[in-house]
Amino acid sequence: MANQTDLAHRSNGRIEAVQEREPVVPVVDVYESGDELLLLVDVPGATNEGIDVRLDKGQLTILAKRREDAPGSQLMAEYRPSDYLRVFSVPQGIDPSKIDAQLSSGVLRLRLPKSESVKPRRIEVKQG
Amino acid sequence: MFPRFGDVNRDFALLDEFRRRMDRVWEDIDPSWPANPAHTGTRAYSAWPRVNLYDGGSALVLKADVPGLSEKDVRVTLNESGLSIAGERTVAPPEGYSAHRQERASFSFSRSLTLPCKVNPEQAQASVKNGVLTVTLAKAPEAQPRQIAVQAQ
Repeated sequence: MANQTDLAHRSNGRIEAVQEREPVVPVVDVYESGDELLLLVDVPGATNEGIDVRLDKGQLTILAKRREDAPGSQLMAEYRPSDYLRVFSVPQGIDPSKIDAQLSSGVLRLRLPKSESVKPRRIEVKQG
Repeated sequence: MFPRFGDVNRDFALLDEFRRRMDRVWEDIDPSWPANPAHTGTRAYSAWPRVNLYDGGSALVLKADVPGLSEKDVRVTLNESGLSIAGERTVAPPEGYSAHRQERASFSFSRSLTLPCKVNPEQAQASVKNGVLTVTLAKAPEAQPRQIAVQAQ
């Protein structure tokens, strides 16, 4: 058996995560029109303050924090209120400054407008 | 995600097709199963919505995740045998858009729960906030916790 203490084989069993609660992956619908991309994300329990959407290097990160105090001792549990996290790679030509996010009844609506250069354009055919 | 078998060797493309079909079978059984299972850490339940029940001392509190639903879309009924939640969720694709990915399903649902103790139906309350349904059921007087004084002898 080879010596397992070298760096390449070091076990990461002793590394602990700071956060105890793993975020869950929310379900998402992605739509596209000529002008924009539209994402609908189910984030029940999340509030406006807990939502963090950022676009960096072509990666769209959607993080929605959920803080809920249990109203008593648990009798039955089918879910654990946890944060939501999902990362998408988005095509080039999205204007990060114009991303618009709206939250209503637990559904986050993200609109990613395309910049002018990538919008479909109709080319006029001239009479020759 | 794993690389597709077909990317490694075209002879294995049949396995990709098999996996796609199995995914579709799961979608039929469980509407909350994601079409593209990026879900790994979560368990898929066949029942929707998922429900948590708490004992808050003088009341039972039920919480359920109902994203996209408003108070008009949920019917909460209390009867002798327990509590039931029913309703319908409709997800309409917006006009003028083409869909790339549709994981949020529309369906109608109905769930019934047996409650662990008697409740007072007059004082039941239900509300929907941020896509979470909360039903508060005050316990019946005989089910309320009662402190018994311990006396010195």
